[in-house]
Amino acid sequence: MSGETSPIVGNLDWNVTPYTDLLKHVDSSTIVGAGAASVLVLGAIAGLVLFTYMRWWGPLYRNWLTSPDAKKIGIMYIALALVMLARGIIEGFVMRAHQAMALGTLAQKESGLVAPDHFAQLFSTHGTIMIFFVAMPLLIGLINFVLPQQLGARDMAFPVLNQVSLGLTAAGAGLIMISLLVGQFGTGGWTMYPPYTGKIFSPGEGVDYWLWAILISGMGSTLTGMNFAVTIFKERAPGMHLMRMPLFCWTSLCVAIMLIYAMPALTVSSVMLALDRYADFHFFTNAAGGNMMNYANIFWMFGHPEVYILILPAFGVFSEISSTYSGKRLYGYTSLVIASMSIAVISFTVWLHHFFTMGQSAGVNIAFGIATMIIGIPTGVKIYDWMATLWRGRVRITAPIVYLTGFFLLFVIGGLSGIILANPSIDYQVHNSTFLVAHFHNVIIPGVLYGMLAGIHYWFPKAFGFRLSETWGRRTALLFVGGFIFTFMPLYVLGLMGMPRRSPTFQNPDFMPWMYIAAFGGVLMLCALASLCWTFWTSYRNRRALAVPGGDPWNGSTLEWSTPAPVPEWTFPCIPRVKAREDWGETKRRGDPWRSPETYTDIEMPANTAHGLLIAGASFTLGFAMVWHIWWLAILGVLAIPGLVVLRGMRVIEPNIIPAAQVEEEDRRFRQQVASLPPATRADEETERNRGVPDLSEFAG
Amino acid sequence: MTKPNTGELNPQESAASEIKSYATGFIVSLLLTVGAFAALLSDLPSTWKIVLICVAALLQIIVHMRNFLHLSFSGGQSREDLLLVLFSVCLLAIMAGGTWYIMSDLGGRMHQASGSDAAMPEAPTR
Ligand code: HEM
Ligand SMILES: [Cu+2]
Repeated sequence: MSGETSPIVGNLDWNVTPYTDLLKHVDSSTIVGAGAASVLVLGAIAGLVLFTYMRWWGPLYRNWLTSPDAKKIGIMYIALALVMLARGIIEGFVMRAHQAMALGTLAQKESGLVAPDHFAQLFSTHGTIMIFFVAMPLLIGLINFVLPQQLGARDMAFPVLNQVSLGLTAAGAGLIMISLLVGQFGTGGWTMYPPYTGKIFSPGEGVDYWLWAILISGMGSTLTGMNFAVTIFKERAPGMHLMRMPLFCWTSLCVAIMLIYAMPALTVSSVMLALDRYADFHFFTNAAGGNMMNYANIFWMFGHPEVYILILPAFGVFSEISSTYSGKRLYGYTSLVIASMSIAVISFTVWLHHFFTMGQSAGVNIAFGIATMIIGIPTGVKIYDWMATLWRGRVRITAPIVYLTGFFLLFVIGGLSGIILANPSIDYQVHNSTFLVAHFHNVIIPGVLYGMLAGIHYWFPKAFGFRLSETWGRRTALLFVGGFIFTFMPLYVLGLMGMPRRSPTFQNPDFMPWMYIAAFGGVLMLCALASLCWTFWTSYRNRRALAVPGGDPWNGSTLEWSTPAPVPEWTFPCIPRVKAREDWGETKRRGDPWRSPETYTDIEMPANTAHGLLIAGASFTLGFAMVWHIWWLAILGVLAIPGLVVLRGMRVIEPNIIPAAQVEEEDRRFRQQVASLPPATRADEETERNRGVPDLSEFAG
Repeated sequence: MTKPNTGELNPQESAASEIKSYATGFIVSLLLTVGAFAALLSDLPSTWKIVLICVAALLQIIVHMRNFLHLSFSGGQSREDLLLVLFSVCLLAIMAGGTWYIMSDLGGRMHQASGSDAAMPEAPTR
């Protein structure tokens, strides 16, 4: 990356790959770097070969990439998130392994697996990936899959926009992935605070990779938020009043509102930083009339609502599973609705707690500290509601319930350490230490990750027609619980002992025992990841035995369980008329829930289109070109996006009509099958006798 | 054009009036933007500049909501529209007010004279 910017390839040259680093200098750091790039390259090649050999390209394109069906879009979001999760966990493990070897002395300051700069890239990519490309796609994917089904709708309000959002998120993820192979990633952490990330201190392409990945995928998330909100307000089935919606829909509504109002703040702070870097603006240069503190201010105006965007869908999942697996009605529905909404609003009033130590006066800190503590109240209400839901129910210890138990035990600890940190005078002692790292992993892993994995386990049969292996599901859950405890509890201790976060080395030998425990936890986390993959694989191989064509494997009470598994493209043969909260449960209580509708009509579904794919391609091109200063390509990318939108706007697009006869035939077949399948009791739920038709006499919920 | 807040399509009142509404919105927005820049480049005292730019920004927001987002306080959904606007105003007030509160406090503690143009920081020696 020396010399002039070439008009054709910008700043690209042959020296940007980790292989050239390896050739120049062989040590563990360059080996890790080249190894990661090789995993990416080999993985891509293996994928290409596999898809070509199996002739999957056609089906992939026709059935998935061009589909505007919210259910499929949701599944693709989750697939993307799981791939990124693998990278994130491996990076976490590499960092833990590094720190377990990083004890330096005053004479020999640096040691360990990777070089300090490489370590900085690791925590920056890890944080960015985990927040923006694991947690966000997981929850957006789950909402996409579940929300329309629970509302009694066939699709999102704007199906093609939905596809575009997915495309933008994938383009951002692609930029992060390609930074493994081409060039370096930024070293400023997932928050990328200037002035360190300004042009002077970070001249290379690293921060730009972050900026464009965030700008592009952030745009996708904003659009998603609007889509969710409009869907909830406009697409509910007749009779589905707001106060009849399942709790997951309520938390989705909160998420939608927060996405709409919070994501623009991130876009603004990133655009300002980009202008600083590309166009010599001085928004964040103190000496030139700017103010670098304003970056932290705007970033966290997004950042704090973001953490509740992440956690609320998990709260929704826990509400659904605590009720279903205990066979009881959800306790305190109204209080849960009010608590979710209060969380959504209060979360916009606390952002300063992320920079208590930035220098404002005590009064300002106290105001925001108190606001922060208040938010613990609605969260506490929810925990009690879920416990009351389980109380005296016949709880089946399925994998989601293991996650729920882990969540109860661990999330409360994380929440309490959060309340501790909300006190500015305590925060002054432990900020920027691994105490903080322990705190946020302690809410994010038991909260978001467990919640999403529990949700995936719970709704998986609806998507693919077979259950996941309970045995392996429980093993995975237990490994994630154990892995979490071993990896992050030591970090509380280390933080109190004075270990700073983001540090590639340290000189205190007392840290070592805790470092080893944490590294062992990292190994457990890797095992959990492997076990998760194995759960999918072994369940896929056993799919005959695990099949649940009846579509209601857990004796659920919300609308999505009334349809076959896997659920057909049109979801409902006839839009249900909702008469009660937990309508499917009420129908069961009245007896004979699987009555067929009187008439069938033609169903109009949005036609497949490559629009999202093309926009994703154009925005990836734009991002990559901007990172490498390939101006001509960037201009093409900028022009292509509105061009594509205009082109689509000018064409007449016919919807896809599914004839009534086809719907009728498939629906009749489903109802006959349900009638012929033996009902399974709850005790049989994990056995092969569970064919997705529950024993209604047991339904109490 | 879609009648405000009904979702009813009225083909008679055809595309022409819709385009007219969008075009008005576009032109007014353009004028307000140019106006803001003009205010910036003028020789007015800086308090006046700030006031003018803020007024132009607020007007711009109203134009966008009226002409592009079709918000309206009459018609079937006026209640929803009103709630939406109030909620947005509330959140934006929290964000803007909070920023003001935080940044002015910080500025005060840094003795930041407004519009100081000290020398640029030097590049670090790497
Ligand atoms: C699964 C096992 C995981 C391991 C072993 C792990 C490990 C780590 C380590 C070692 C760090 C650096 C700590 C430091 O700065 O000293 C870190 C930072 C971070 N992790 Fe994780 N992590 C894991 C999962 C997650 C998950 C699931 C999320 C979020 C969804 C997450 C989000 C973050 C964030 C945001 C940072 C801060 C990055 C920064 O400093 O900018 N991590 N993690
Ligand atoms: Cu926060």
